Amino acid sequence: MSERDHEHWREELPAYLLGALEPGQAAELERHLAGCEDCRVDLAWLRPAARLLPESVECLEAPRQLRTRIMAEVRVEAEGSRAGRSGRRSFGDFWRWIGDRSPVSLGPAIGFAAIVLISAGIAAYATRDGDGGSAPTTVVAGKAPKVTAKMVREGDSGTLRLANVSGLKADEVLQAWVRRGERIESAEASLFVPDCHGAAIAVIEDMQGVNAVMVTAEPRGGSDSPTSDPLVSVPVRQ
Amino acid sequence: MRKRRGSAERLADEELMPLIGKKDVAAFEVFYDRHGAIAYSLAYRIVGERTAAEDVTQEAFVSIWRSGGRYDRSRGSVRSWTLGIVRNRAVDSLRGKSASAPKLAFDADALLEQRESGDRTDRDALRRETADEVREALDQLPGEQSKVIQLAYFGGFSQSEIATMLSLPLGTVKGRMRLGLEKIRTEMVRLA
Repeated sequence: MSERDHEHWREELPAYLLGALEPGQAAELERHLAGCEDCRVDLAWLRPAARLLPESVECLEAPRQLRTRIMAEVRVEAEGSRAGRSGRRSFGDFWRWIGDRSPVSLGPAIGFAAIVLISAGIAAYATRDGDGGSAPTTVVAGKAPKVTAKMVREGDSGTLRLANVSGLKADEVLQAWVRRGERIESAEASLFVPDCHGAAIAVIEDMQGVNAVMVTAEPRGGSDSPTSDPLVSVPVRQ
Repeated sequence: MRKRRGSAERLADEELMPLIGKKDVAAFEVFYDRHGAIAYSLAYRIVGERTAAEDVTQEAFVSIWRSGGRYDRSRGSVRSWTLGIVRNRAVDSLRGKSASAPKLAFDADALLEQRESGDRTDRDALRRETADEVREALDQLPGEQSKVIQLAYFGGFSQSEIATMLSLPLGTVKGRMRLGLEKIRTEMVRLA
C-alpha cells in the first residue's frame, strides 16, 4: 500500500461514516481498513461523532398506532415461527377436536364473503402455548367457512387468533373491540393485520368484564367506534 | 406475557437481542419501547412526512425482528445499530421517491428547511440532554461544515452529489465533512 493510497482512503473516512460514499466505495474502503491500523484508529476516533448525529433530532412521540401495527406483525410472525418449530397438535388437530366436541353455530354472512358472524361454542382444551408461558385456562372457539377464530384466555388477558381472513382492502386494518355489558370499546393495542396466509392475532390485555370480543375491518389508523359489521364476534363466558 | 415483559425490562439492550433472535415477543416489545420514538423521529427528520416516517420505522423494526439474532456487538451499541438501519431505510425511501427527479434541481438550503418543517402537529418535543448537547455542537459548527454533514447524513446524498449541488470541488466537501466531525468529536470530549 502506497502512502498515496493511504491518504486517499483516509480522506474518505468521514464520508464513510456519514453514509456518503459512492456505491461500491464502502467495500473497497473496508478492505483497506482491514490492513491499515492508522485508518482504523482515525475511524474509531471519528465514529462517535457520526453516531451522535441521529441523537440530535428533535424527539417526537411515535404514534400509538405505529406500535400497535408493529407488534401485531411481530406477534403473527412469532406465532408462525412457534407453529413451525413445534411438534405439538396443529390447528387442524385442534379444529377437528373442537368439531367433535363443541357445539358451534354459524351466523349469516354479511356483506363480502369474509364477513362472518361467529356465534362461538365454548370449550376447555388442555394445551400449552409452547413458549414457556402459563397454560391457557379457557379456549373459546368458533369457525366458519371463511374465517375461523380462536380465543385463548390467560389470566386477565386473552389472545384472539383468526385464520382465513381475506377480502381486506390495502387501506384497511383489523380492529379488535370488546363488549362489556352494552358498551363497545376499542381494545387496547387494537389494530392488527393478517399475514399473507390470512392469519391474524390480537392480544386483549384486559379481559375483565368482557362479554364478547369482536373484530371489524376499519380504515388504516383505526376508528373510534366500529364502522362496519363484525367479521367475527366471539362471546366470552366470565 | 406481563411477567416475561417484566423480566425483559431488566435486561440491557445487548441482552435483549439474543432473545429477539429467538422470537421473544416481550423482549422485542421492550426494545421497541426503548427506541421506537427516536427511530420514528429520525425517520421523520429524513423523510419529512408522517406516513412515510411510520412506514420506514415499521419496516426497520420488523427487519430487526426478523434478523435480531444477527446483531454484532462489534458494530456499536444496539441503539446506534438500530438508528443506522432506520437511517438507511429512510434514505432508501427518499431515493425511491425521487429516483425520476433530477437531484441537481434541489437547492441545498431549501431542501434542509423543507425537511425541518413539515407537519408540526405531532411534534411533542421530548428533548433530552444528549440531543440538546449534540444540537448545540452542530449549531456551533460553521454553516458550510454543518451543511455538508446534514446533507450527507439526513439528506442521503453522496459526497459527489453534494459537491455538484453546492458547486464545490469534491475535495472541499471531503474536507468540510472531516472538519465538522472533528469539531463534534472534540466537543464531545470537552463535555464528557
